[in-house]
Amino acid sequence: MNAIMSDLRLYRRLILMQVRAQLQYKINVVIDILGYLAVTILEFLSMLIYFVPFPTMFGWRIGEVAMLAAVASFSFGLAELFGAGIDVFDETIRRGDFDRVLLRPVGALFLVASSEFRLRRLGRLTEGILAFIVSLVLLHGIKWTPLKLLVLSISVMSGALIFMSILLMGATMCFWTVQTTELTNILFYGGREMLSYPITIYHQVLQRILLFVIPLAFGAYLPTCYLLDRALPLGLPGWVVFLAPAAALAFASIAVRLWSFGVRRYQSTGS
Amino acid sequence: MDATIKAESLSKSFRIARRRPGLIGGLRSVVDPQVRIVEAVHDLSLRIERGEMIGLIGPNGAGKSTTIKMLTGILVPTGGQVSVAGLNPTRQRRELAQRVGVVFGQRSQLWWDLPLIDSLRLLRYLYRVPAERHAANLKRLRALLALDEFIDTPVRQLSLGQRMRGDLAAALLHDPELLYLDEPTIGLDVVAKARIREFLRAINAEQGVTVLLTTHDMDDIEMLCQRTLIIDHGRKLYDGTVADIRVRFGGERTLIAEFSPSALAALPYDDGGQPLLTELPAGVRQARAEIPRIWLSFERGAIPAHELVAWLGARYQLRDVTFQEPEIEDVIRRIYEEGLLLREHEASLMINHP
Amino acid sequence: MLRFYVEVAQTAFRRQLIYRWANLAGMLANIVFGMIFSYVMIALFQVRSIAGGYDLRDALRYVWLVQSMVMIVLTFGWYDLMLTIRSGEVVSDLSKPCDFYWYWFSREIGRSGYYLLYRGLPTYLVGMLLFGFGAPLDWRLWLAFACSLPIGAMIGIAYRVLFNIAAFWIVEARAFGTLATVIALIFTGNYVPLPFFPAWLRAIADWLPFSGLMNVPAQIFLGKLAGGEMLLEFLRQLAWLLVMTLLVRFVAARATRRVVVQGG
Repeated sequence: MNAIMSDLRLYRRLILMQVRAQLQYKINVVIDILGYLAVTILEFLSMLIYFVPFPTMFGWRIGEVAMLAAVASFSFGLAELFGAGIDVFDETIRRGDFDRVLLRPVGALFLVASSEFRLRRLGRLTEGILAFIVSLVLLHGIKWTPLKLLVLSISVMSGALIFMSILLMGATMCFWTVQTTELTNILFYGGREMLSYPITIYHQVLQRILLFVIPLAFGAYLPTCYLLDRALPLGLPGWVVFLAPAAALAFASIAVRLWSFGVRRYQSTGS
Repeated sequence: MDATIKAESLSKSFRIARRRPGLIGGLRSVVDPQVRIVEAVHDLSLRIERGEMIGLIGPNGAGKSTTIKMLTGILVPTGGQVSVAGLNPTRQRRELAQRVGVVFGQRSQLWWDLPLIDSLRLLRYLYRVPAERHAANLKRLRALLALDEFIDTPVRQLSLGQRMRGDLAAALLHDPELLYLDEPTIGLDVVAKARIREFLRAINAEQGVTVLLTTHDMDDIEMLCQRTLIIDHGRKLYDGTVADIRVRFGGERTLIAEFSPSALAALPYDDGGQPLLTELPAGVRQARAEIPRIWLSFERGAIPAHELVAWLGARYQLRDVTFQEPEIEDVIRRIYEEGLLLREHEASLMINHP
Repeated sequence: MLRFYVEVAQTAFRRQLIYRWANLAGMLANIVFGMIFSYVMIALFQVRSIAGGYDLRDALRYVWLVQSMVMIVLTFGWYDLMLTIRSGEVVSDLSKPCDFYWYWFSREIGRSGYYLLYRGLPTYLVGMLLFGFGAPLDWRLWLAFACSLPIGAMIGIAYRVLFNIAAFWIVEARAFGTLATVIALIFTGNYVPLPFFPAWLRAIADWLPFSGLMNVPAQIFLGKLAGGEMLLEFLRQLAWLLVMTLLVRFVAARATRRVVVQGG
């Protein structure tokens, strides 16, 4: 327990230090965040245009899809923010900076994950929150219960963990070749885009992939169904929504194991 | 167990796949990879005791960094065994990192955008150093390395010499028992180099920190290192003192003879107006002349120094005689270029395995 | 001099040929997004069969056309020029005896040519295979499309160069560039096809330069514009091309003067 606490404190210090460094240029930071916020808000608003000619998307009304997009965005934003070091790992490898990571008395993944913290990425998190508020307005509110709030919070964090695991798998690939970053981007950004719409619009195969292979649906679609008192896809029973953390942890543990394998390979070939 | 670094028959081979051009070539490389094996380090053994300061020299590509990487746990050896401070570097990487400090001449371990002091303070938490010990170390290192003038400046604005001092402080804050330095004086001016060397000498002598120093600067070696290891083509070729290197491979020594005016007048002169000594003994040649001195180079084996002096004294009236040892730079270069040690190494192998 | 610019374009084309894997990976991204938007369209068209004059097949074609054209017309995250400004390389570029804008223009035309053949065509073909929406067979539409797309590409080049040059004056040019790109993409139908825009927004979009980037060529290709309308859109495209080109040349001249005066 003590070890975890001191790890968390170290993490906090590493992050705070990078935040301090960026805040030296306050104006630039603000412009960066606002710029990113503007871009993401515009993308969100443009999605709402669909509902001018079309009243529903596969039975989902504008407010419901807006909420879905908001939850997906927020979950993704968390991963973008806290997984930044993993995201740019291909640069770290290319610059030869991974050796320095191995010289420190802390876990390599820990150090990588706590580097490259960029305040700019708060832009998308803000958009997620604003979009959620917009969706509540469009829905004229929803029936909240404490359980719904709990499910939403935990599912969003689970979704973030799954997104970060995708980034981690992409980073692990860099131990073999730095040419596959585009593929990781497709899964990462494409995943977010896919989650912004009800997964029931997709082919059955894709739905199963989003539920059972890369369980992103647990981070956005399932909790939104729960919030909106809607049925789950593929006839799944309602309690499946509570499995979000389990799905995330299972997926993450695979990613971490692959990462360890990658580090061992780096140590035997020197890259 | 008392030795800080023990490496036995270390080897490291890399498999380099040949890349074929084009799309078809790329696919073929996956299915049927043509691999060649490059031996970066071969059968290298070394033993470094606590408190020693050892130099590691060798041409580029000799395997020095590969060896250091195996000692720090960045790379896993393909053969042989290594233990550092009683630990296995790859299996106990984090434990070992706690007891080791590393300074790269070319790349800093400090955080680029922040003032130096912030990096130094953060390291306390990274290495879990108790507050008082960290404060005491910081105070001491600030004084020893004269950090106060730039301790609040962002690292990226520091000069090379300042950054090196910062890196040294950072490497020692957690009281490591072993310090690796990779080209620590590269690119520094004479004053800065002297300062760093003095610092290293102090921490080695006073705190007993074991130091392994990779360098291309021979003065570093001569002034600091009790022992030197020469590595070439992945093999350890030499392990001994600098003086011994000179004796064994020094090649030529130089005698500088200052002639009296009357002796100078009697000498023949060349077209350039400089005196020329003729009929020198075998193995002796005139290297240079500048009135009233003449430089004579002679092979160590050809004629003993005192005999040459006697020979000169018998023929000419001399004012003064001094000797000049070969520059260790030149000696080492000769060793690399002429593959002297490699030849010796191979010869010794042949003796052992006829 | 023209020979030089042609050479620049050809070199740029040839240089792109090397990045085979990167192109494939990028194409995969286009395909994935094409698929996502296709499913969205299929879902939307369940409630009504025609919107904005488009049926489902038109909408699918539009979506895939956009994905095919986007690299030709307005690549996301094109900062080549901005990087040379940051690094200072641009100073030596500006002192070359060729026209600064036409140099970059030729480079980008060469790249656009590459993307037409190696990204655009295959992407649309894949879309056709996956969703079976085919292509219009009227040769006149193809001809008109072949005239409209290059104009769109040229407007795109002017726009890219314009917001890259902003780096001479703005420090945060990158954030500005991303915003500029997204706005352009929204108003050319990259996120939601322009025909679905509400009337008031459509009116605004029609008078912005961005419609001419991808939306106009797409509409022409799909045969959605009758003779007179097509002509109007052509003229609007050409007008914007003229305006944007003059604007970017003016700004580039200002930048050149600034560099000469300040010495980089």
